[in-house]
Amino acid sequence: MKNSLIACGAVLLGLNAAAVYFPEQNLTLAAQTASAAIGMVLVFLVIRPQAARKPDATAPAKPVTPPPRAEAEIVALLALLQEHGRLVDFAKEDITAASDAQIGSAARVVHAGCRKVLDEYFEIAPLQSIPEGTPLTLETGYDAPAFRLLGSVPENPPYKGKLLHPGWIAQNVKLPRVTGTTEKRPWPVLAPAEVEVGGN
Amino acid sequence: MNAYFGIDLGTSNCAIARAMDAGLPEILPVTQVINAGGIGERPLLPSSLYMPANGEFPGGGPQLPWQHGETCSFLGTFARDRGALQPDRLIASAKSWLCHPHADRRGPILPWGSTTVETKLSPLEVSRNLLSHLLASLRASDPAATLDHAVITVPASFDEAARALTLEAATQAGLAEVTLLEEPQAAFYAWLENQGSEWRKQVKSGDLLLVCDVGGGTADFSLIAVTGKDGNLSLERIAVGEHLLLGGDNMDLALAHAVSEKLAAGATQLDEWQFLALVQALRAAKESLLSNPSLQEAPVSIPSRGRKLIASTISAVLTRQDIQEIAIDGFLPLVDAGEMPVLRRAGGLRESGLPYAADAAISKHLARFLSRAKTNAASSPHLIEAIGGSRRLERSTLLLPDAVLFNGGVFNATPLRERVLDQLTRWAGTPVRELEGSRPDHAVALGAAAYARLRATGEGLRIKSGTARSYYIGMESAAMAVPGRRPATKALCVAPQGMEEGSHLEVSGQEFFLHTGEPSEFRFFQSEVRAGDQAGQILPDAAELEESARLQIEIPPPAGHQPGEEIPVRLEARVTELGNLELHFLHPASGGNWKLEFNVRLQ
Repeated sequence: MKNSLIACGAVLLGLNAAAVYFPEQNLTLAAQTASAAIGMVLVFLVIRPQAARKPDATAPAKPVTPPPRAEAEIVALLALLQEHGRLVDFAKEDITAASDAQIGSAARVVHAGCRKVLDEYFEIAPLQSIPEGTPLTLETGYDAPAFRLLGSVPENPPYKGKLLHPGWIAQNVKLPRVTGTTEKRPWPVLAPAEVEVGGN
Repeated sequence: MNAYFGIDLGTSNCAIARAMDAGLPEILPVTQVINAGGIGERPLLPSSLYMPANGEFPGGGPQLPWQHGETCSFLGTFARDRGALQPDRLIASAKSWLCHPHADRRGPILPWGSTTVETKLSPLEVSRNLLSHLLASLRASDPAATLDHAVITVPASFDEAARALTLEAATQAGLAEVTLLEEPQAAFYAWLENQGSEWRKQVKSGDLLLVCDVGGGTADFSLIAVTGKDGNLSLERIAVGEHLLLGGDNMDLALAHAVSEKLAAGATQLDEWQFLALVQALRAAKESLLSNPSLQEAPVSIPSRGRKLIASTISAVLTRQDIQEIAIDGFLPLVDAGEMPVLRRAGGLRESGLPYAADAAISKHLARFLSRAKTNAASSPHLIEAIGGSRRLERSTLLLPDAVLFNGGVFNATPLRERVLDQLTRWAGTPVRELEGSRPDHAVALGAAAYARLRATGEGLRIKSGTARSYYIGMESAAMAVPGRRPATKALCVAPQGMEEGSHLEVSGQEFFLHTGEPSEFRFFQSEVRAGDQAGQILPDAAELEESARLQIEIPPPAGHQPGEEIPVRLEARVTELGNLELHFLHPASGGNWKLEFNVRLQ
C-alpha cells in the first residue's frame, strides 16, 4: 500500500516536473508552474484519504495506535521537497500579481531542488521507450495499469493508436526512514521555523 | 564466498566498496542521518562532522540504528548540510589536518577556530569516528561482516606521520590489520579491474603514466612506469606529488565570487546563506555548461531567506566566458614548462589554519610535480631504467608522461580533461593520450577493494611502490669546534625511497653512538627527489632536505651503563606490513632495542 502510494506520488511528481520544463507544451511558463503546483497539492489530496482508509473497522480498537508510518514518510518526502526545492513555499505563495520572469526565476529553485530529491530518492525511468507520436498496438493481455486509453476506445483489444506520453515509472524508492516521531507529533515537521541566533 | 573491503577515507566524502571472490567490486551504501527527521542509505558518506549545541536536540536528535542514548555529534549528509549553515560547529576536511605538520593532530583543535563548541575533537578522533561509522553501517546490514584486512586509501602525498595516524585511527575504530594504499594507485587498480585484459591494448612497455587526481579539496599526482616485456608487463609507482589543498571546490568558490561581484555591481548584496546557495546553484550550472558545448549561458536563481520565494528570488547568470576565464584559464592556464607555482603568499603573517595552496593554477603545480619527478628519477639508475632510459630525461625539463588516467569529480567535465592533455602535449611536443574508461567518482574505493582482494588471493597485477620518499635522521657531525660556528647537521639516510612493506634494512658500514640518560633531540628529514640515496649514505648538510619531525626524548641507559654515557648502536629501518616506517636502535651487548616511529609532530 505504502509503496504504491509513493510510486504514484513519484509518477505524478515526474509528470509535473516534465510538464513544467518541456517548453514545447503550448502554455505560458506561469500557467505551467501553477499547474505543477496544483498537481502537487492534488497528489497529497489523493494520497491522504487513501491512507486514512487503512484502519480495519472489524479490528478491536487498540489503546495505543502506533504512529502512521506511511503518512509520516509522505510528510518526510514533502519536507525534503520543501528543504531542497521550496515546494511548499512555492505552492503556498500567491502568484497572481507576479510576473512570468519572477515565477520563472523561482521555478529554477523549485526545479533544481525537486529534481535533486527525485534523483536521490527514486530511480525514475520512462515507462515506454519509444518516442512520442509512435504508432502502437495493445494486444489482449497488455499491462493495463501501465496505460491510459484516450479517444474512442472499442470494447476489446487490440487497441491501435499512437503514443502521446511515454509515462514514468519509479523503479526504485529509497526514502529516508523517519525517526523521532512521537504520538504527539506523528509525522515530521514540514519545515522548521528558522531563527538567526545572535542577530538582536 | 569471501568479501574484501576497500575504504576511501576522503577529504570531502568517504565510500566503502566490497569485492567478492570474482567479479567487479561494488559500492556499498552507507546508512547515515539524511536530515533532522530521517536516516537513509547513500553511496557516499560526506566526511563532515557536525557538533550541535546542547540545546539543539534536547531529545538526542535523529538516531542511527546502532546508536543508543544521546548523540553528541552527527556525521555525513545531515552534518554537511546543517554544518554549512553553522560553520562554527562543522568539522570538514579533518583529513587535511591529519597531514598538517604544524598542528597538534592528537589535540582537540577541531572545529578549527570555533568559538562556540566547548568540547572539540582531534583530527585523529574525527578519522576514527568516520571509520567507526562505516564499520557500524556495514555491520547493521551484515552482522557477520568485518573490516579486518580492509584497505584504506590515503593521498599519495601523505607523509609517514599522517599514514601512521590513519592506521592508528583504524585500530581505534576496531579495524584490525588494515593496509594503506595511495589514492592514485587505487584509481589505477579500479581502472585495471574495469578494463580486464583489455588494459594492455592501451599501454605498452616503456610507457610512463600520470594519474591526475583532482577532488573537491585536494589535488594528488603520481607517475607509474610500465616496464617488462610485452605480455608480461610490470607497473611501478615512481613519483608522488606534494600535498595540495586545491580542487573543484576552489573553482565553485571562484565562480561564486565572480557572480556575486556582478550582482553587487547591480546593487544586490547576498548574505552568507545566499552565498552558499549561490555556490550550490553554480556547481550545477558549471556542470551543464561544461557538459554541453552549445550552451552559452546558464541562469541561476538564489532563493530568498523567508517564505516568499517568487517575490524575492535573485536571478543571476553564469556565462561560458565565466567558465572559460575562471574555471579553465584560472585553474588550468596553459603555461610554459618553467612556470612554477607561487608557493607562499607575499604577506609576512599568515592566519593559522590549513595551508591552502597559494597559487590556484593546477597546471603550474603539475609542472612543479613533473620537474621534481625528473630530478628524482635522474638521481637513480633504477628509475632511469624504469622510465625507459635517459632519453626521456633529455626531452624536457619535466618528466613527461605518455598517457593520463584522470580521477576525481572535476574530471567528469570533458573540457577540463582536454585542457590537461593539451597542456601536457604542449610540454611534450608529442600527443599525450588519455587512458579510456576511467570512472572519476567512485574509483578510489572500488580500486581499494580490488587491491584488498589482490593482496589476499595473490591474483592480479600489483603496482610496485614502497615508500614514496627517502627518510633521514639528523646527526651531529664529528667536527672540530670552531668558535661562533655551529657545525651543520648531517643527514643519515635510514630508509631509501621504494622500501617495500614488510622489509627491513640495516644501516651498515658505520657504528653510531646513542646518547642515553639525558634528554636529547632527534631530527627527522625526508625527500621526494632523492631516489638515488642508499641506506647508510650521509649527506653533509640536512638543510637541503625537508624536515618532517623533531623529537625530544630521553633514552634510558641499558643495565651497566651510566646516565650520560654514549653507547654504540646499530641502526635498522623497518617498514611494517601495514606500511608504517620504524627506526630501531639496537644495542647487541645488552639486547636493548629502542624504536622510533616516524609519526611525531613537528614543533
